[in-house]
Parts: sequence; C-alpha cells; structure tokens
Amino acid sequence: MIICSDIKKSYSHGGRVKHVLQDVNLVIERGDRVGLLGRNGAGKSTLIKLIGGVELPNSGKITRNMSVSWPLGFAGGFQGSLTGLDNARFIARIYQREYADIRRFVEEFTELGKQLRMPVKTYSSGMRARLAFALSLAIEFDCYLIDEIILVGDQNFQRKCQTEMFERRQDRSIILASHSPEFIRNFCNKAIVIDQSQATMYDDVNDAVDRYDRL
Amino acid sequence: MEQGSFHRLRKSWAIQARVIHALMIRELITRFGRENIGFLWIMAEPLLFAGLVGLLWHFTHGATEHGIGVIAFVATGYIPITLFRHGVARSVAVFTANQSLLYHRQIKIVDFILSRFIIEVLGGMMAYIFMAVVLIGFGEFPVPADIGLVIAGWLLYAYFCLSVCLIIAPLSEMSEAMEKFIPVTTYIMIPFSGLFYMLSWLTPQAREFLLFSPFVNGMEMMRKGVWGNDVTAYYNIWNPIICSTIATMIGLILCRRVRRKLTVE
Repeated sequence: MIICSDIKKSYSHGGRVKHVLQDVNLVIERGDRVGLLGRNGAGKSTLIKLIGGVELPNSGKITRNMSVSWPLGFAGGFQGSLTGLDNARFIARIYQREYADIRRFVEEFTELGKQLRMPVKTYSSGMRARLAFALSLAIEFDCYLIDEIILVGDQNFQRKCQTEMFERRQDRSIILASHSPEFIRNFCNKAIVIDQSQATMYDDVNDAVDRYDRL
Repeated sequence: MEQGSFHRLRKSWAIQARVIHALMIRELITRFGRENIGFLWIMAEPLLFAGLVGLLWHFTHGATEHGIGVIAFVATGYIPITLFRHGVARSVAVFTANQSLLYHRQIKIVDFILSRFIIEVLGGMMAYIFMAVVLIGFGEFPVPADIGLVIAGWLLYAYFCLSVCLIIAPLSEMSEAMEKFIPVTTYIMIPFSGLFYMLSWLTPQAREFLLFSPFVNGMEMMRKGVWGNDVTAYYNIWNPIICSTIATMIGLILCRRVRRKLTVE
C-alpha cells in the first residue's frame, strides 16, 4: 500500500512560486493499476517523482508499504556516459541482485544486442524504455511507476510489456501517467485526474476519462 | 523495540556501504576508463604536482631547508593540499551532476560526496606511499619515524577536508555566486594549510595564530611522523577533531535542507 497524506509541492524560482500539488490525499492498494491523467504541466510527473521519492514534498507524508520502482521515464535512472551493461551492473549492485541474472533478462528482453555496450546517452527513447523496463522487471518491484514512456516503444516492445507486466505480474501495482485515455481505459482499473493542483481518484476509469476530456 | 531499531540501523548501514561501493566503481569507470593504467591515474596528478614543485624548490632553495630535504618537504605538503583542492572541486554541484541517480531511493546525496571523497583519499594515500618509497630509494626521504602519527595526521587532515566538502556541496547548489568564490577561497587557504613551513620556523605569535587552522595541525602531525626527532612540531589533535565535527554537523544539516528543495530532472 502507498499512502499520500496532505502532500504539498511547489517550485520556486526567482521569487516566483508555482504550486503544483496541494492537499493531495491518495491511497494506492496492492494490485491497483492506476492511470494518471492531466494536461501538460498539471503535475503528473511531479506526483510520480514524489511517490518514487526522487523529489520530496514541501509538506505531507508518503508511506510506502511495498517496494516501489524508480520512475520509468524519459529522464533519470541511468548514467548517460556509461554503457547499458555498466548501468545494469550498477543497478544490480545497489539493489543487491545477481548481475548475471539481471544481464540475462536484460539481453533477452531488450533485444538490443551489441548496443548494450554503447553509452546510454546514444540511445533513442525507445531503447531507453526497453532498458528501463527490463531492469525494473528483473528486479521485481511490488509497484511500478511509469511516466509516459511505455507508449514510445514499438509494437514488439508493447507486446512484451503486455505479457511481462500486465499478464505475468497481475498482482503488482502500477501507477502510469499517460495522455492516452484509450491506453488507460484498457489497462487500468482506477484513475487519478490532476487539475488545478488537486488530485482526484476515480474508481471508475470511464468517469475519469470523461472528466479529463472536459478539461 | 531497541533491538528492532538497532537491526534497522545495521541494515541501513549495509545499504549505504553497498551504494557507496557501487558509486565509487562507477566514478572510477567514468573518470579513468578501462584503458591503459586506468584508475592508477588518480595518483598521477598529486605525484606530478609534488614532484615538479619539489624539483623547482630543489633548484631555487637548495637541497635542504632547516636541515630537512626540500623535495621530501614539498612532497609531504603538496599531496595533502591536492586532496583538499580536489575534494572541494569535486564537491561543487555534485548533486546536479549526479541527479539522474537520485531516481534510486537508496542513494542519498551524502553518498555522492562520500564516494568521491573516498576515491580522493585513497588516491592521495597511494601517491604518498608511492612517492615515499621512490624517494627513500633515492635517499631523498627519511624512513618515517612514526608511521602511526603520519596516518593519524593524514586521517585528521582528510576528516577536515571531508567536513568542508560536506558544506561546500550543498552551498554550491544554493547559490551560483558561491561557486565563483570557491577557487579564490581554496587559493587563499594555501598559506593556512601548513604547506610551506613548519610552525617551529615561525615567530611565536604567528605560530599561535596558525594553530587555529585544522590543516596546520594535521600537517605538523604528518611531518613529525616522517622526520621524528629531526623536527619540532606543534599540534593539538583536538583542534581538527572539534572543527571537523562541527563542520560535519553543519554540512549534514545543509545537505538535508538542500535535498528537500532539490528539483530532479
């Protein structure tokens, strides 16, 4: 279970303050697949970063009673100057996993072949997505945080995610930010709409999508 | 309950040790690569610095000063100061440089500072040992009279450097003006680092004043350990211990505050 209580987050720069999230209270249960909807800049990525512990809220508390992945997205998580395999080795070390197992899974899942010996900064966003998903699947989290990136993959990658994440790991939770209502309707059983720094949880995904369409 | 929190503390220590280990390896790979001598490069700069300046002094000041070998004297001074200057330089903007790794919750920002600093300390120690062995071979360096005192001095010196890094790193994130002052400050620090003198060569007033500097205390200890009865050293081990501990506290508080406000791309 993940509990966000009274989360407040604002960014300030040069005397200007932007309140991104205010008084956000959410509970995410084990096995929930939560879609995150909201316009650009509404705070989807911010919420995911807060839940992932990448950034800290100005006030409020986030309690994590299950293991939570790092946010899988376009940025972060990797060292660009290191190769894909070096990154895998680093991640195996800090998450205390056997590098050999992780490597086997990564090679099979990403199908990147020799590219895994190239620096990650030379990767396309699709390749990055493959690497990020492969690593986080190999580590086995209870809850996966996905920021947009799932949709950048090609057909083959989406199919793999489908089997590995949505079929084989049905007991896991997922929090997924996306601009595609279609995707969220297909894969999520709950949804959060973020608007005007408020986050509202909907138990019916269709209600959330309706609200999102009207934004 | 007591047992529980002790157990948790031990587990957290184990995690941090693992993270620092992984960060050090990553740092060594990115900085030195896997080609030629690899991470041995870390010794190169302090050695070159100490060696060349030592030679320069050898020709300008003569072979000995106050009865001790000039090359060895300069080398024992320059290697610690390189530790300080590198440590500080590596701490500036260290959080922004590594921010993509903050995606992994078990990595704390202090780990960035620690992992870089440990590398610098190891490099400095290796350079020190290498240089001493070579110079002893040439008869330019005495066999250390008290190795324990050299190591104690080095550790205290390093502790103070680390505590300064712990303050510099968060400050450099708070304001960019700060960043501009750092090169000047490390330069001005040089006379207060005990690099060019032993306190016994100075007037009592200057000596008393310079003993406030934790660097000077550490440096005197190291040199006393190297030359033993050939030199007179003045030091108080409590000065670096107290100064470093206070600075570490301040640094850790600043790090905590900066972490709360850090925006990660």
